[in-house]
Amino acid sequence: MAGRLDVLVCSGGACMSSHSLEVKEELVRQLEAQRLADEVRIVETGCMGPCQYGPLVLVYPEGVLYKNVAVSDVAEMVAEHFLKGRVVERLLFRSETADQIVREHRSIPFFEKQMKIVLANCGAINPESVEEYIGAGGYEALGKAVTTMTPEGVVAEMKASGLRGRGGAGFPTGTKWDFVRREASPKKVVVCNADEGDPGAFMDRAVLEGDPHTVIEGMAIAAYAVGAQRGYVYVRAEYPLAIKRLRSALEAARKLGLLGDRIFDTAFSFDIEIRVGAGAFVCGEETALLASLEGRRGVPHPRPPYPSTSGMWQLPTLLNNVETYANVRHIIARGSAWFASIGTGESKGTKVFALSGNVRNTGLVEVPMGTTLGELVYDIGGGVPNGKTLKAIQTGGPSGGCIPVQYLNTPISYETLKELGAIVGSGGVIVLDEDTCMVNLARYFVEFTASESCGQCVPCRSGLVRMLDILDRITRGEGSMEDLALLEELAHTIKRSSLCGLGQTAPNPVLSTLKYFRGEYEAHIRHKTCPAAVCAALFVAPCEASCPAHVDVPAYVTHLSNGDFAKAFDVHMKTNPLPGICGRVCYAFCETKCQRAQIEESVAIRDLKRFMADYAMEHQLAGPKPGARNGKRVAVVGSGPAGLSCGYFLAQRGYEAVLFEALPIAGGTMATGIPAYRLPRDILEADIDRIVKTGVRIELLSPVEDLGRLFADGYEAVFVATGAMKGQTVALGETLPRGVVTGVEFLKGIHVDGASEVGDEVVVIGGGNSAIDSARAALRLGAKRVTIAYRRAKADMPASPEEVAEAMEEGVEILDMTSPVGVVGGERVEGLRCASMAAGPFDASGRRRPVPSDRPEIVLPASMVIVAAGQEATGELLRGAGIEVAKGGLVAVDPVTMGTSRPGIFAGGDATSGPATVVEAIGAGRRAAIAIDRFLGGPGAFEPEERAEVATDYDEDAYTQEQARAVPPMAEVRTRIRSFAEVRGRFAKEQAIEEARRCLHCDRQQTEDGACCESSASLAAEAKTR
Amino acid sequence: MLRVVCVSGRGGEDAVGLGECPVVRDLADGGDLVDKLRVKIDGRTILAAPGKTILEVAEENGIHIPTLCHLDGLRDVGACRLCIVDLYGQLVTSCTTKVADGMEIGTQTETVRAYRRTILELLFAEGNHVCSFCVSNGGCELQDLACELGMHSVRVPYTYRRERVDATHPRFLIDRDRCVLCGRCVRVCQEVEGAHTWGFAERGVTARVITDLAVPWGTAESCTSCGKCVEVCPTGAIARKGASNAEMRKHPELVAELTERRARG
Repeated sequence: MAGRLDVLVCSGGACMSSHSLEVKEELVRQLEAQRLADEVRIVETGCMGPCQYGPLVLVYPEGVLYKNVAVSDVAEMVAEHFLKGRVVERLLFRSETADQIVREHRSIPFFEKQMKIVLANCGAINPESVEEYIGAGGYEALGKAVTTMTPEGVVAEMKASGLRGRGGAGFPTGTKWDFVRREASPKKVVVCNADEGDPGAFMDRAVLEGDPHTVIEGMAIAAYAVGAQRGYVYVRAEYPLAIKRLRSALEAARKLGLLGDRIFDTAFSFDIEIRVGAGAFVCGEETALLASLEGRRGVPHPRPPYPSTSGMWQLPTLLNNVETYANVRHIIARGSAWFASIGTGESKGTKVFALSGNVRNTGLVEVPMGTTLGELVYDIGGGVPNGKTLKAIQTGGPSGGCIPVQYLNTPISYETLKELGAIVGSGGVIVLDEDTCMVNLARYFVEFTASESCGQCVPCRSGLVRMLDILDRITRGEGSMEDLALLEELAHTIKRSSLCGLGQTAPNPVLSTLKYFRGEYEAHIRHKTCPAAVCAALFVAPCEASCPAHVDVPAYVTHLSNGDFAKAFDVHMKTNPLPGICGRVCYAFCETKCQRAQIEESVAIRDLKRFMADYAMEHQLAGPKPGARNGKRVAVVGSGPAGLSCGYFLAQRGYEAVLFEALPIAGGTMATGIPAYRLPRDILEADIDRIVKTGVRIELLSPVEDLGRLFADGYEAVFVATGAMKGQTVALGETLPRGVVTGVEFLKGIHVDGASEVGDEVVVIGGGNSAIDSARAALRLGAKRVTIAYRRAKADMPASPEEVAEAMEEGVEILDMTSPVGVVGGERVEGLRCASMAAGPFDASGRRRPVPSDRPEIVLPASMVIVAAGQEATGELLRGAGIEVAKGGLVAVDPVTMGTSRPGIFAGGDATSGPATVVEAIGAGRRAAIAIDRFLGGPGAFEPEERAEVATDYDEDAYTQEQARAVPPMAEVRTRIRSFAEVRGRFAKEQAIEEARRCLHCDRQQTEDGACCESSASLAAEAKTR
Repeated sequence: MLRVVCVSGRGGEDAVGLGECPVVRDLADGGDLVDKLRVKIDGRTILAAPGKTILEVAEENGIHIPTLCHLDGLRDVGACRLCIVDLYGQLVTSCTTKVADGMEIGTQTETVRAYRRTILELLFAEGNHVCSFCVSNGGCELQDLACELGMHSVRVPYTYRRERVDATHPRFLIDRDRCVLCGRCVRVCQEVEGAHTWGFAERGVTARVITDLAVPWGTAESCTSCGKCVEVCPTGAIARKGASNAEMRKHPELVAELTERRARG
């Protein structure tokens, strides 16, 4: 009986664990209270798909989908919507691009690109009602098949459809059916594989829980086609709800005569039994499954013989996956031609994917084959949350492989994924962001398959635990390059010589991560580092690991939390002598890895550093004293962060370091490229001064033209830190009118020459911090209107989000998807012609490449155009010394010794990497100082002191409760744009101490055996007993 | 004298005597030349009777393929993976794969030899296979394989397991440190003796053979003490009590004999 309103409450597994049943019960209560119980019908359905947003409630006839419905929301929903017709907007989905609510559920981006065939009824009908199933067209296909088609005809249709097994192997379904049909045996069996063992796979579960009859109907059609009388569904024991719903569906079907004797009054008789698994992943393998069905040990046997010839009880057996059967009735009802019109050449139809991992919209999605990986992750999945970047996509679970971001345009099909070294598999898709360690990921999957190995064949049983052992040791920093070679060899041996699919595919995650992320393995082995800051044995804490200068963040923050500001400063100076500067402008890699973000937000590490540096400056703290002079001299070309850092650490070692600076001011890009409202001059000078006081000499207005001269003058080594100070241009035309400058020139002009003419309208081209700096500086120099034109989407801008936000607050307009094509103007620039762009296919960086759209060109009026679209180095100095210089003027150096191809000449910072960050240059400078020391006969590495954890003197537990991140005072917008006075303020002392106490002291987690936490420790203990 | 130029390539000066050529022997047994399949093994064309496995055909023609879990007279399971051969680039176990007309098989390719070697190393490292104080020293199939495959070192660390020896049976004992999980004991007890005493339990590296429902062997009521498991065990795992270091010698060939006799009735 339909109601005025049909309220569908999702009761798929995920929503149930989010208390959707309590929501439903509250709905019943509220409807009673509002006397609507007769008009409103509540239906409990199967999985609706966007599991991230459960509990979900779908209201018809409007088709409004409510998300994250709490029990406390129900009263409002009933009173406002059901009674008064006013939809409760705060519970609706919002579209990410337009930031609008989406009312009709099919227009929600998550659903727009999906095509539901297998999941057609899931989330739309009550799975416990066979009447609803029939009402939605169910069992018509079975009727059509047994009353109007021959078994051969059914098989022919299945063949023509192109359907391939959805369990993972992708074998042509119609062909398999034909094999069984052709066997001359009066007794045959049809089996449904509902073991679904892959971690991260839950599509079969959703079908069984949400639409069990579709599987029953599919099996019955199959039985008719191949000549079987009995069917079995082998369901894993861990799916009790699926078992319950299937059982009641079978009973209902039998009652209606859709199973049992003489179905639809024909000679066809067929019935199905449920058999429950006993917790073995290997029983998803067909021969092991059949053994288990027979009551024997669930171990596979070599094939041939195949189940189609000799399967259950040695009878010809058809074995297919749940999803495969769920497609059957649609093919028979709508025809093979319809099915074959969906998908790609070799992979027809749709596929259900279980999206999980670091993606906004986790859940079940069904898309036509041929949908690209990028569409799946971004358009449907909503992209990677929390501002993280996509690293790779793992498909096919423990049998599959990972696919890096360069392949986002790949249309999904059995062939394309196989070519990339992955598999479609059962459809598990795990999205991995930058915080994923690929070595640890491979280890995780091998740990799973090793524990699930049946033990029959030697390579899988014995080889996988050996692979696991090697991976364990690599993640603990105990691996060697020989281990890596052995790992690979074992992987190939196991893959090719194992008895069954488990062993044959278990090495895939290792092989695919080695293929695309070999560098990560080598970093763990050669450099004992984990680039993603996951393998805890290899670092002090994630913040320290991600810092390019490896500042001991937990130590200095803990000192701050104790109020020991001077001690904090000393710790910082050990690896980074520019705390004042970094406290203002550092990119703060540490904050991107800060584990506090799991509670509310990362600790405000940079602001704490600023507080500490200001304290040090005000109290004139000098930092460590330089070492006794050893009489050797080292020349440094450039006084930017790399040069200053190198000079400082050389002086600590007793060298006389002299910095040669071409400009009249010291500081490199920090002085010429970063405006004072971000980095006040006195702070910059205080940091540099402190370094000079340790005996480092800076010669201003002293450009170096010939490196050989320096050696002639008695310097024993040279460190080239000339940066990347040449602004890149953008193609705007052959000759350019006046007023078109690069960002580098513009900013340098302000800081060195004091030049300041900007005119009224300034347009800045670019999306990085340099573009933002140029824009905000132009505003302060009197421009009435400042616009930034960026060719990609705003979310793709490389500038830090805070900078972008501050710029917009100040009135800078950001036009994204706007690409400059030419200038307007005679002698002086008058405007900038821009093409409007659209988001095209993904490029190798994982971002959508801008392509010209069909919107017309626009002309932005401009009295000045600033091109801040990248920088490069010049490289002349090194070429002159016979050192090879690559594209962009960059010089190649050994990553450990920082040495160039000429002994004695070292290089670091932007000159080698291209434009990067201040802290990366500082790290490079320190590494170079160590390398130069070794080159000149010294010990090289600084003696590693025993790292002492800093104890706290307050109640740490009190600070693990939710406590918002402290925000420093900010200068008011209208006043701040009139000058270059500093915009961001500083914490008060108590504020700083409180904020520092939010630190979770991640440096403390290591136990004695180097395990990072309890579960890892128990694994290590377990491994010892293997 | 009749010169037999065999299609298997052994012609000319190396012509075998009539009695040795398997094709002729088969014909003499009443076989039919027309039914034979032609396969190529290591480049040699060989005639084979349908229904035979690659292993059988190879052995008949003097081509040796290493095995461990295979035993004439018992069902083949393809578990140890030592008998793998290259079949059109795929690796298959020769003991379980029946020959088909036109097959091209490589038994000694570089890959196959390398993988056999690795598998053997994994076997040695998995248990506690120290020959110098083992009852089967000198009469052990695992040891023989090591010699045959030239295994002079093992690239993975030994685990040096310490399983308890089960000596509760009055005449026999099992030292699970030496067990290679070949399953021959399980199969002979099922297929030849019919007692079903031996079985497998658990999985992966924790898999082991058990008697009855994992009770001490001496209390396993189904055991008939026939001793067939002792004879078929390829290593010193299942042993006769009273044999000391290097004294144990076994007769696994009795299984084939028994099976054959029973078939003949």
